[in-house]
Amino acid sequence: MLTDFGIILLFIIAGFALLGVVLGVGRLLRPDNPNPEKNSTYESGEDPVGNANVQFNVRFYVVALIFVLFEVELVFLFPWAVVFGREDLIAQTEGRWGWFALAEMTVFVGILALGLAYAWAKGYLDWVKPKPHVSQFDSPVPSELYEQLNERYAGKAGKGMEEKSNQLP
Amino acid sequence: MYPIILLSFLGIVVLFLGFAKSKAILLPATLLFLAVALVGNFVEWNQGTIIYFYNMLAVNNLTLAFNGIVLVSAFMIVAMTRGFQDDDEAQPAEYYAIMLFSLVGAFMMIGFENLIMLFLGLEILSVAMYVLTGSDKRNLRSNEAALKYFLMGAFATGILLFGIALLYGATGSFTLTGIQAYIGQGNPSYLLYGGLLLVLIGMLFKVSAAPFHFWTPDVYEGAPTIFTAFMATIVKTAGFAALFRLLSHSFTGIYDYWWITLAVITVLTLLVGNIIAVYQDSFKRMLAYSSISHAGYLLIALTAMTPQTENSILFYSMAYSVATICAFGVLIPLAREKAMTGKPRETYEAFNGLARNNPLLAFVLTVSMLSLAGIPLTAGFWGKFFVFGSAAERGIIWLLVVAILMSAVGIYYYFRVIMAAYMKEGDTAEIRVAPFYKIVLVTATIITLLFGIAPGLFTGLV
Repeated sequence: MLTDFGIILLFIIAGFALLGVVLGVGRLLRPDNPNPEKNSTYESGEDPVGNANVQFNVRFYVVALIFVLFEVELVFLFPWAVVFGREDLIAQTEGRWGWFALAEMTVFVGILALGLAYAWAKGYLDWVKPKPHVSQFDSPVPSELYEQLNERYAGKAGKGMEEKSNQLP
Repeated sequence: MYPIILLSFLGIVVLFLGFAKSKAILLPATLLFLAVALVGNFVEWNQGTIIYFYNMLAVNNLTLAFNGIVLVSAFMIVAMTRGFQDDDEAQPAEYYAIMLFSLVGAFMMIGFENLIMLFLGLEILSVAMYVLTGSDKRNLRSNEAALKYFLMGAFATGILLFGIALLYGATGSFTLTGIQAYIGQGNPSYLLYGGLLLVLIGMLFKVSAAPFHFWTPDVYEGAPTIFTAFMATIVKTAGFAALFRLLSHSFTGIYDYWWITLAVITVLTLLVGNIIAVYQDSFKRMLAYSSISHAGYLLIALTAMTPQTENSILFYSMAYSVATICAFGVLIPLAREKAMTGKPRETYEAFNGLARNNPLLAFVLTVSMLSLAGIPLTAGFWGKFFVFGSAAERGIIWLLVVAILMSAVGIYYYFRVIMAAYMKEGDTAEIRVAPFYKIVLVTATIITLLFGIAPGLFTGLV
């Protein structure tokens, strides 16, 4: 007879075995033509090595937030599933227990699904935002004036920038 | 318990109403939902103490009365939010939904029976407040305030959780009755004292008592004024209801241990709030320090912890909330009119000549300032009277002396506003206020005066 830790050991072994099987099947089936882009850590194109003080695309956070939400939901589903299937409770309530538990979980998942629907309707699930919000501004100053100004000060500004960049370590 | 479920559901409804083409429906819908929640709240009136959700929440007349104060304050504040409709960048559906959700957190704090519920309620309320503080996305001040509030609030929450963990370690229970039973056995472990101290720090941060008040002026000043009013009234009421519930239900057994700590914090809060408020030029910052000083007065009642404490905290919260809503309510149209010239003018000068320009606003402002200062015939006077009375009953005279001296200091900075409104010449254009807005302000003023003349009407209720 297995002890409780024996079961955990079996679980670990089974986990590794399953991983090996899945990766092995993938290896046999997929075409094999690697390139540097594919071999980088994140397929999203973020540089894995470098200064941490760079600007991330803010949409990563939105996607990550929505992902975490549903991941946590899944964590809550596990203990619920254990109580849901309790045969003694079902027998005690003549079967009403199952429906009650199911209804409770439907409310919970339903509220989270509403949240997803909200994010969807607001367009946060689209990676490329279809309609960038451009603020219209009618300037009383004609645009030629700006161009003249730019041309006149182009040289000076350029110099300033160079001096500044030289000062940097 | 009903308003918790109602507002959780109706908040989602408001969120989805935001997809409608016209934003005009949002304000009446939110007001209707708040009214429904108010009715739902008093369904359980006079039914004794009811425990919900396996010892998680308790409902009795006191929690219902606090819920009522919070709901009525929220109703008045929401009624003053017409400005969202003119602003293209504003997201009124989200603001209203977050406000309704935050009220759910406030109810949990008011009626918690289990410390987990206290934590949950506090977080629901706080996270909503962080978002609302930063809701004016184009305003750098608002962004800074939100970040500051969030970082410091997260720390305070961490400290609170640490305290709850220690309390659990000492007593083996999260429930108020469990902790009380443990203390009743005598010889409590040192973990209990440490845990109580950390929980107190976490809670006192939220109600902005000194020395945990540093976020208050910056956050109050940076947040959009309407949300500052929300923060100043609802968070404070819920915070003090929770503190009272925690201390009175669980920790009366070790009163000798915590009262002196609380008394020192009270004196510090009174001194810091009132004395720094004198030096402010901005009305909004002055109100922030004034809210710190009012936290100090409320703490007096907690420190005394007599049988009258619950009534005095209830009355004081009501008087303070109504007067603060009036004060911010007068500031909003004033600051908007003057914003044409650039930044919103929130200094005392904004009130110059208000009496000639708009006598109604000047009167509302005067009554609210008198109430905050604690002048007789306003609700604020009776609030202070009851609070000081509970301290006198306990016999903490030195605390009383400090408090009375500090309320004398308070009269100076509250009267500066009245002087600006009545005695100085202003150069402003006429200030117009929507009729609905006027009704809210006048109602709040009537409440202040009514309970100032006949406080028994309110204290007789609970």
